[in-house]
Amino acid sequence: MKKLVVSLFAFVLMSSALRAEMFSLSFFQNMTDNVFQNRYLEKDQLSSLNFYLDKDFSKFSFFTEGNYVYLHENSGFSYYFHGIGLDYLYPVSEKSAFYFALIGQGAFYRPDYNDFNYLSLNFLSSFKTYLSPTSILKSNYALEYKTYEYSLYDFISHLLDVSFDSYFQTRTTIKAELNWGYKDYLHALPQSQESQAIQIMAVKGLVAQGIGGRVGLNVSGTKQWALSGENPFSSVEEFYMVENPSYDRYSWQGYQISSELTILIPWNIELKMGYTRAEKEFPGIESMDLEGNPLGVIRQDTRAQFEASVEKNFPKFSLFFSYVYIDNHSNDSFFEWQGNFLAVGLEWNMFFGKKK
Amino acid sequence: MEYVFWKEEVRKSFFIILFILAVFQGTVFSQKPDHFYNVDTEKKIRGTIQKIVMESRYKDASPFLIVVLEEKKTEEVYNVEISPVRFFAHDFHKGEELEVTGSLYFKEGEKNIIARQIRFRGEIIMLRDKKGFPAWRGGEMKQKKRRKGKRF
Repeated sequence: MKKLVVSLFAFVLMSSALRAEMFSLSFFQNMTDNVFQNRYLEKDQLSSLNFYLDKDFSKFSFFTEGNYVYLHENSGFSYYFHGIGLDYLYPVSEKSAFYFALIGQGAFYRPDYNDFNYLSLNFLSSFKTYLSPTSILKSNYALEYKTYEYSLYDFISHLLDVSFDSYFQTRTTIKAELNWGYKDYLHALPQSQESQAIQIMAVKGLVAQGIGGRVGLNVSGTKQWALSGENPFSSVEEFYMVENPSYDRYSWQGYQISSELTILIPWNIELKMGYTRAEKEFPGIESMDLEGNPLGVIRQDTRAQFEASVEKNFPKFSLFFSYVYIDNHSNDSFFEWQGNFLAVGLEWNMFFGKKK
Repeated sequence: MEYVFWKEEVRKSFFIILFILAVFQGTVFSQKPDHFYNVDTEKKIRGTIQKIVMESRYKDASPFLIVVLEEKKTEEVYNVEISPVRFFAHDFHKGEELEVTGSLYFKEGEKNIIARQIRFRGEIIMLRDKKGFPAWRGGEMKQKKRRKGKRF
């Protein structure tokens, strides 16, 4: 079966590459002093090689991407990610359109981490309409089915977003968004007889202000509630660039406030700077001391994050640089940490196909 | 628990999708555009958005997002072709300012521009390469899936 899948992947990739309209290849070198994002700092460098290609077929578009990430110090966590999909844009009027996509994804890790190998199927649909020339209503629905090597993590999820934005003559855009999500772990945990489901709801507000033609500023806030259910695992952990199924948007409730400044500096270089503050509580996760003794309180984290990035686009390639600093405080001492994350990258683009 | 059997079903579906894609992509539909990107007519304009619509522009292709732009200096009006999927990726509104670099052509007495690059809200958006080949990379959903370094 594996040989068949590999052969199919190879065939799809080779034939796609030969007929692609757009092909991009990128390389990123990432460095951090805290790859596992906890109090015991561990440095690592991650090299990431990506490709992406797409091809239009009539009103459909086929796309595929691959991403290999190698961890220099913790090579057992290295992985290959692949995504493949088809999408379709269906306009219903001059002012409204639907967008549909069907995407298959997979991640394949080295043996140290291969319990988290997964395959997923995603169906995405969006609707966008102009209610007036200055107001937009959008809604998105995403269905995801994800199956892991270690089946305890298998889940199906539904995510629904509705947003409304309006632009004013003062060059101000105001946006309001409502999110609802439902994630159902498909298998009961050993200590439980029933499968676990988590339901969340979030509201988000954003104010964006244009200042001249070269500066943009936005401030946003998100408040999220866990309506039902809680994390079924004993711990929630994030790793740098390596997905951990215990942590995702369903694992917390709380709030997040962000601000971002975008400036187009001379030579058309894009500079972005942002600051985010978040307070998150992880329902079902009890804080522990460093010896592993439960403290009888739910884990709560407060995080401050500063980030800056620079991007320069040339006709055939783009250059990227980004730096992120995170200061995370938690009532679980293990998650008291600071980290620096640096990335530099090069993306090379090739365009084929017909010149429309 | 009734989902358990899905696991095998979804694995099968995943492979079936792969197979269908392998077959489907072998079929290339021909496109016969009635206008092309002409580098010799390239110009840059800066103006204010007057109207946003979706219109058919190319045979057998999704309708395009068209932004009607009034140039600041001359008050002349241009229909700017953005791309099909940008309708979802960027939220343009009437009254916002855009700087567009693209190829000018005339049709039925109207000035049209096939956009190659736009400057919008302090960002540069590349839509085509210097020769005019499309460089849009799928819709919002695809762009979210792309990985450029770490996302927190």
